[in-house]
Amino acid sequence: MEEDAYLDLYLNGCAGQDDLGPAVPPLFSPAAPYDVYNPSNPETAFSAHLEVKETSGDFSSVDLSFLPDELTQENKEESATGNQRGSEENEQDVGQGFSGSGLSSAHSHLQPGGAASLQPLPDKPDALPMAPIASMTPMNPVSECSGIVPQLQNIVSTVNLACKLDLKKIALHAKNAEYNPKRFAAVIMRIREPRTTALIFSSGKMVCTGAKSEEQSRLAARKYARVVQKLGFPARFLDFKIQNMVASCDVKFPIRLEGLVLTHRQFSSYEPELFPGLIYRMVKPRIVLLIFVSGKVVLTGAKERAEIYEAFENIYPILKGFKKA
Amino acid sequence: MPGGSCPDCGSSELVEDSHYSQNQLVCSDCGCVVTEGVLTTTFSDEGNLREVTYSRSTGEHEQVSRSQQRGLCRVKDLCRVLKLPPTFEDTAIAYYQKAYRLSGIRAARLQKKEVLVGCCVLITCRQHNWPLTMGAICTLLYADLDVFSGTYMQIVKLLGLDVPSLCLADLVKTYCSSFRLFHASPSVPAKYIEDQEKMLSRTLQLVELANEAWLVTGRHPLPVVTAATFLAWQSLRPSDRLTCSLARFCKLANVDLPYPAVSRLQELLGILLQMAKQLAWLQVLKLDKRSVVKHIGDLLKHRHMLLRMAFRDGTAELETQEKTPEQGRGEEVGLDSFSLPKGKRPASPSLLLPPCMLKSPKQAQPTPPVSTVTGDEDISDSEIEQYLRTPQEVRDFEKARAAISVPSPS
Repeated sequence: MEEDAYLDLYLNGCAGQDDLGPAVPPLFSPAAPYDVYNPSNPETAFSAHLEVKETSGDFSSVDLSFLPDELTQENKEESATGNQRGSEENEQDVGQGFSGSGLSSAHSHLQPGGAASLQPLPDKPDALPMAPIASMTPMNPVSECSGIVPQLQNIVSTVNLACKLDLKKIALHAKNAEYNPKRFAAVIMRIREPRTTALIFSSGKMVCTGAKSEEQSRLAARKYARVVQKLGFPARFLDFKIQNMVASCDVKFPIRLEGLVLTHRQFSSYEPELFPGLIYRMVKPRIVLLIFVSGKVVLTGAKERAEIYEAFENIYPILKGFKKA
Repeated sequence: MPGGSCPDCGSSELVEDSHYSQNQLVCSDCGCVVTEGVLTTTFSDEGNLREVTYSRSTGEHEQVSRSQQRGLCRVKDLCRVLKLPPTFEDTAIAYYQKAYRLSGIRAARLQKKEVLVGCCVLITCRQHNWPLTMGAICTLLYADLDVFSGTYMQIVKLLGLDVPSLCLADLVKTYCSSFRLFHASPSVPAKYIEDQEKMLSRTLQLVELANEAWLVTGRHPLPVVTAATFLAWQSLRPSDRLTCSLARFCKLANVDLPYPAVSRLQELLGILLQMAKQLAWLQVLKLDKRSVVKHIGDLLKHRHMLLRMAFRDGTAELETQEKTPEQGRGEEVGLDSFSLPKGKRPASPSLLLPPCMLKSPKQAQPTPPVSTVTGDEDISDSEIEQYLRTPQEVRDFEKARAAISVPSPS
């Protein structure tokens, strides 16, 4: 059988050889050569180029956290090698224009654990599946959290002052206002403490941006409302709502974006020709993350602080999986 | 019953009938022929012709509007210009039609529809691993990359498509083949002509090395390939070619020089120099960025090992945060550098990290003091008044504004 021949070739290659030479450039199967399993690159490269159908005895994407330790060790090698074939197979599938479920179809017959397989155990980095299952809810490992707290950088909130405003009058009587009706139909007002900017519309609606916390945003919005009040308008403070929160943090290790986009195809979009970062659209919570090669992560789209923290705790194990063991 | 009335009896019971395949409108009461077909229509006949609403005409079945037809035509032309296989054309057209059904696209400006043509072709090429860069499409369409990127991201999201990444290997092959250095030509000196196969394989190896050394991730792929092609070409005949600069090389080869290629070249040379330091017979030569080119062949042959030896694992290093004091041990001019015992590594290896992480980090911003703002504090009047103009200031401001806006007297 053709498959057996490939399997033999691969196993021979793995028999502790050194540099196999430039015969097979490992570059073009990016999921494989990041030294996750074997210290020597050429072997992983070699295997990554074989189109081997996954045999039914393959445990590549099984979450080994449910199994006792001995079994885990035993299956480590198989999971490592099987996984590369798995990711290679996924790559070959690319040409048929898969819409996101390539990974799940390749692994669906293997995984009993469903969504749980997505996260590697932090204390067993070698047993990590490089091609996690397509799951909408990545589960966190029970053991540890990242220890990194994303810092809020910007909060956008809206409030209704509930009265019609004369923008010309506001621009005339307020020092900190600018109004250029030809360019934009709102007054742009700024205050120093908390350092924020507000867009005030003639309908009485206002947008407040630039605050570093929810409370600061609320305080700033109230100050703007007071300024408008002092200018003689019957301004109120209705329906204050935080619309968007942006936070950033640093995981402090470099990330192989090409690998991440392969394993999390349905969530990620990485176009280096357009933007240097990878755009990860997490489903739960609904947050967009910008992940850069330097390890810096920007999280946006949250309405609450907890969503940001949850999103980061979800992404951190995924990113750690791309660190070299 | 068709509308209109019979000119003879005034009845409105007109029936469509055909007499020897010529359509006629006949009054069913008196039998008068109202209209008699296309060939002979008298003035009165024409008065009886009914106007047909669009919904009843054949136009309704032709769902393809003129702008969509134009777009489909453009898709076909683009595929032909790019010499794509015929199956690509069908796929691209299918995508265009699918996109056109979205309301956001149907109502979009013409500029967007023109760019959409390029997006559909690009998606088709990517799904078949045909290396087509966005820059190339934008040049062909005379489109702005910003407009293209916006439309591309939108259409991928709306159609829910899974578009694979640009295949770097294929890009190298196509891009390298476009260099005009493989056949003798009057503008290119003989010593610059190179064998295509050799250059291609060496370029592939260099690009692969760059990828491992974090020079490709997050960056535009093309400049790296340009730099790698240049180095491959130089290293195949260094004695004659070291004098040629990157800009001149691109000019001779009739290829545009992308702006970042210069810095990619420097980065790649830096990596090669680090690797060269691990080879004993090269250490004594004290190479610099120019002389290392002569040894690229050797360095590439052992690139995996040298890369591992030359660089510590950047990720592990950051984690442990230990700085083992590795003094530069005396240079081991051994006959076989491969068997250097681990403890006798020359000069401490540097970190293998993306260049953006190697630059000196900005002064770590002091974490902002935890603010104790509750959002409900009292706001003092004085604080608000600092933002308001006094009446005198208002008058001065208005006067100044009036003075500026008064048109200067002729």
